[in-house]
Amino acid sequence: MPVAASAIYFLNLRGDVLINRTYRDDVGGNMVDAFRTHIMQTKELGNCPVRQIGGCSFVYMRISNVYIVIVVSSNANVACGFKFVVEAVALFKSYFGGAFDEDAIRNNFVLIYELLDEIMDFGYPQNLSPEILKLYITQEGVRSPFSSKPKDKPVPNATLQVTGAVGWRREGLSYKKNEVFLDIVESVNLLMSSKGNVLRCDVTGKVLMKCFLSGMPDLKLGLNDKIGLEKESEMKSRPAKSGKTIELDDVTFHQCVNLTRFNSEKTVSFVPPDGEFELMKYRITEGVNLPFRVLPTINELGRTRIEVNVKVKSVFGAKMFALGVVVKIPVPKQTAKTNFQVTTGRAKYNPSIDCLVWKIRKFPGQTESTLSAEIELISTMGEKKSWTRPPIQMEFQVPMFTASGLRVRFLKVWEKSGYNTVEWVRYITKAGSYEIRC
Amino acid sequence: MAPPAASQRYPSPSQPSGKSEVTDLKSQLRQLAGSRAPGVDDSKRDLFKKVISYMTIGIDVSSVFGEMVMCSATSDIVLKKMCYLYVGNYAKGNPDLSLLTINFLQRDCKDQDPMIRGLALRSLCSLRVPNLVEYLVGPLGSGLKDNNSYVRTIAVTGVLKLYHISASTCIDADFPATLKSLMLHDSDAQVVANCLSALQEIWSLEASHSEEACREKESLLSKPVIYYFLNRIKEFNEWAQCLILELAVKYVPSDSNDIFDIMNLLEDRLQHANGAVVLATVKVFLQLTLSMTDVHQQVYERIKSPLLTLVSSGSPEQSYAILSHLHLLVVRAPFIFASDYKHFYCQYNEPAYVKKLKLEMLTAIANESNTYEIVTELCEYAANVDIAIARESVRAVGKIALQQYDVNAIVDRLLQFLEMEKDYVTAETLVLVKDLLRKYPQWSHDCISVVGGISSKNIQEPKAKSALIWMLGEYAQDMSDAPYILENLIENWEEEHSAEVRLHLLTAAMKCFFKRPPETQKALGIALAAGMADFHQDVHDRALFYYRVLQYDVHVAERVVSPPKQAVSVFADTQSSEIKDRIFDEFNSLSVVYQKPSYMFTDKEHRGPFEFSDEIGNIPITPEASGDIVPAQQFEANDKDLLLSTDEKDDNKGVSITGSAYTAPSHDNSNISSQMQELAISGPATSAATPQSSFDFDDIFGLGLSTAPAPTPSPPLLKLNPRAALDPGAFQQKWRQLPISLTQDCSVNPQGIAALTVPQSLIKHMQSHSIHCIASGGQSPNFKFFFFAQKESEPSSNYFTECVINSSSAKAQIKVKADEQSTSQAFATVFETALSEFGMP
Repeated sequence: MPVAASAIYFLNLRGDVLINRTYRDDVGGNMVDAFRTHIMQTKELGNCPVRQIGGCSFVYMRISNVYIVIVVSSNANVACGFKFVVEAVALFKSYFGGAFDEDAIRNNFVLIYELLDEIMDFGYPQNLSPEILKLYITQEGVRSPFSSKPKDKPVPNATLQVTGAVGWRREGLSYKKNEVFLDIVESVNLLMSSKGNVLRCDVTGKVLMKCFLSGMPDLKLGLNDKIGLEKESEMKSRPAKSGKTIELDDVTFHQCVNLTRFNSEKTVSFVPPDGEFELMKYRITEGVNLPFRVLPTINELGRTRIEVNVKVKSVFGAKMFALGVVVKIPVPKQTAKTNFQVTTGRAKYNPSIDCLVWKIRKFPGQTESTLSAEIELISTMGEKKSWTRPPIQMEFQVPMFTASGLRVRFLKVWEKSGYNTVEWVRYITKAGSYEIRC
Repeated sequence: MAPPAASQRYPSPSQPSGKSEVTDLKSQLRQLAGSRAPGVDDSKRDLFKKVISYMTIGIDVSSVFGEMVMCSATSDIVLKKMCYLYVGNYAKGNPDLSLLTINFLQRDCKDQDPMIRGLALRSLCSLRVPNLVEYLVGPLGSGLKDNNSYVRTIAVTGVLKLYHISASTCIDADFPATLKSLMLHDSDAQVVANCLSALQEIWSLEASHSEEACREKESLLSKPVIYYFLNRIKEFNEWAQCLILELAVKYVPSDSNDIFDIMNLLEDRLQHANGAVVLATVKVFLQLTLSMTDVHQQVYERIKSPLLTLVSSGSPEQSYAILSHLHLLVVRAPFIFASDYKHFYCQYNEPAYVKKLKLEMLTAIANESNTYEIVTELCEYAANVDIAIARESVRAVGKIALQQYDVNAIVDRLLQFLEMEKDYVTAETLVLVKDLLRKYPQWSHDCISVVGGISSKNIQEPKAKSALIWMLGEYAQDMSDAPYILENLIENWEEEHSAEVRLHLLTAAMKCFFKRPPETQKALGIALAAGMADFHQDVHDRALFYYRVLQYDVHVAERVVSPPKQAVSVFADTQSSEIKDRIFDEFNSLSVVYQKPSYMFTDKEHRGPFEFSDEIGNIPITPEASGDIVPAQQFEANDKDLLLSTDEKDDNKGVSITGSAYTAPSHDNSNISSQMQELAISGPATSAATPQSSFDFDDIFGLGLSTAPAPTPSPPLLKLNPRAALDPGAFQQKWRQLPISLTQDCSVNPQGIAALTVPQSLIKHMQSHSIHCIASGGQSPNFKFFFFAQKESEPSSNYFTECVINSSSAKAQIKVKADEQSTSQAFATVFETALSEFGMP
């Protein structure tokens, strides 16, 4: 059995039960006490997200200030358990309008009970698709006042509908203006050695969509990936166009994508769910364009002084620019005084994370910027332990740039009524874990 | 469905005690109950919400039960839903009250609105009050026939709930049969999926005492049913797909075409966005191709990339779950992942549990081509702020060194660790250098010069200190000040808290004494005196033993304590291959995360007899077992008693013999020393596997095996066909189908155990009794065999036996399955007789 979960608990950071649902009687009510005393109150908490106590296993994860704990008494499927929690939280968020935290839970007890009953029955996951659940859920979430999104229209009529072959889309949707939004969001992960060698570098990308389309539309997406292009040229029996093609290491798709057709024709065709969803995820390791180069030099001068010089170069197109660039330069714990100059942006010493935090709001392409700092340390008694230097970390967003070079070639919408649609395509590259050792 | 009663909650002190609020609510509800004013439903909703919030934060609101039920006589679905919730919560604690609700729930089960029908049915089944079971059967029956799929979905799970409350009621109403027909004919995918999970659960639980349920359970795994599900798999939602894939794992394909058909059907599931589906598919692929080695390799290649994607996407917890599985695969096929080592580099901010798994993977996949990069990376982690990870990294470097032949560079790195001057790094490194020297004595020169420079004052951890002391003793001739360092340590005997370290001190002093007598004599004297006065039993005994051996003859003592050693070629693996295979069978479950098979952490009683049937296909049929490593183990055993703390358990037979010397002084001393002398003189050449000598030891020590006379063989009642043949597939099929007709424990005679160094010896022996082996596996001390035999007169009557032999306890457990159940006892007798003659000349 994938997960026959016996119970699910939502706890706050102190260990109080916010809300829970017991699906089966095979675990006692004091199980949560065991979790509290054996996991929450010990160092175990960060050690491992799966723990066994007595005859039960606890599969737990922390999301903002809430612990979600699934209790199982059998040899359950862990991957399924975690996935269930993640999906459930996404679902709650869509009802609460953004935030998932202790307060949101306290404001929405009835709704959560309703959802928990529908998404899992007797420990077996049922349907977590928000589209279908709208039909069964009578409560509206209490939205936090700060959420920017307007309230969705309440579903006018909660009559039931047989779940058809397209379980993720309701029939009879109608929009005045038919629009599709497509975002390619990539995050670049980099690990660079102190000598400037790239140790590890990859891109994980997501294609996010937002559809406001009437009826049952069929969509077709073409990318400049290698396999797709080759297949196409093969089918049209003409040589592939020159230009950059991207080799995807691996792709996964939302359940709406017709995988048989992807395997035979290599095109992504699908009937989209209404509203927002993640169409596909991919991973690329070859030919990644790094948006930033970081060149650090750190000199320890004697025992109480350190000289830091960090040069950051943007290597994407001159017309583009990066936003929200943050460079975190680690300094020793016993830093007493810092003194620095930057060519652009602002820098600050943040003692709580032992870092110099250098922020640049807007960083144009093909430019460079430097920070030079002098750090004075408190001289400590007899401690001659050398400072283990954590890596420099970087955050940024580069709109209209993809580190992989992936581009949308076409996005076609076909519906039997033949309406016109407006398609919007955006690209953005973010820093995943962008680490430079120094 | 009911949250625990209020008493188990911990309302924070700031929360209202609730008494007055509850009375308030009660009166307000009562006012509204009869009212038909417009807008009354809205005020009811608010009140209900309040009641439920109180209930959730732990205030007892059971006293408003009556009012709630009264108020819910309405058509408003929102109110009804909240009322069901409330009722479900308090019914279990108040069976009397719940009787009240039965009526209105039953009425709602006939409502026009399918949603109300469904909700009412779910609430009814979730009351979980045993004496109300009779009221469930009717609504469930009509729920299963409902024309709305939502109601049917709930009814199906309701049947499972009923089964758990009262199995007999469920079976008597013939619900399983109804579910089965629904499963095969219903148009709604969720109904079908719930039928499948309910039936799997019901039949597995019933199977232990019902033949029919066994058959039904098997029928779920028949070809038509499996293909029915697999062909429709895209209609199901992601969770149901996991369920179906899990079912497909248990299916035994008829031939290789069958296997390829299934793999083609499921190929695209590897691209599913849900990691659980991908992992379940991976399991199907791996299990299907176990018997086809080359295809199995291709499967690894195919699944590698989806799994690596899953690792790098999602929350750390999810990556952890995937990484645990990947770890299992990496250990099984390291070469396939060797080029992907960069994926296992740790990120600075990752949680320790993810880092730890990644380190293990890096260790496992290190080979000639990538060792340099991996070790360089690991050295970076050794400077990590997280001490636990830094330690793991040092250990990982050491493990890689022990795996590789080209250790030159690694030794340098390890020695650099010693220069980092961090206590924990130094400590870990010392332990590793010690292990390294045991395997590669040729490096002693380089290592010793560095180790000699370490001040023993900086090392506090017992393990590290023991390692240093061991090196001082072992290489006393190469380290000029070894005797003086030892002397220093011995002078501080009283301050040494760890018995392990004191034991090592004694041994090292002895070794040093043999090599450099004049310089060590004084220190040894102090050590022996301190040791014999020690309050720790083992230390005391060892000191006394050394003293007496020295007294008897110094040369004998040298041969006992410091015999010439051969390098250790292979360090013992901590987990037997059988356990690893077992975990592999349970891929995609908690077993993989815990790294132990499920029987070790779930209750025994939950396991049906069929749990065993899965394992047979996965025991590797090894043509030659681990005979070649036996001598190495002996040397190791010799070393181990000096190196490892005595509490470290080991199944190694060699250890148990030498290990018993620790307790020897409680026996007759002269006898022991002469015994030890014999052992020392014959040295490592005394093979523990030689039947005569091992038998003698046990006899003299008065331990071990009772030498009961071999049971007199009774004349076999059953004639077996000496040339019976059966292919492994057919055996596997049969083993699954048949119930265990007999389980028996018997002992194996000592001669037999002695001859059982490799499984082949027993296989040959049994063959001479017309019992044929189909698969065998394991290594000392645990062996496992699958045998089959055929009645000579009737080729259709076969016997299947699983035989587990533990050579250290000389016990065997046999499980017999037979086509003809009635003759299984006769067969068991034949089997036992044959087994008892094993090892007899």
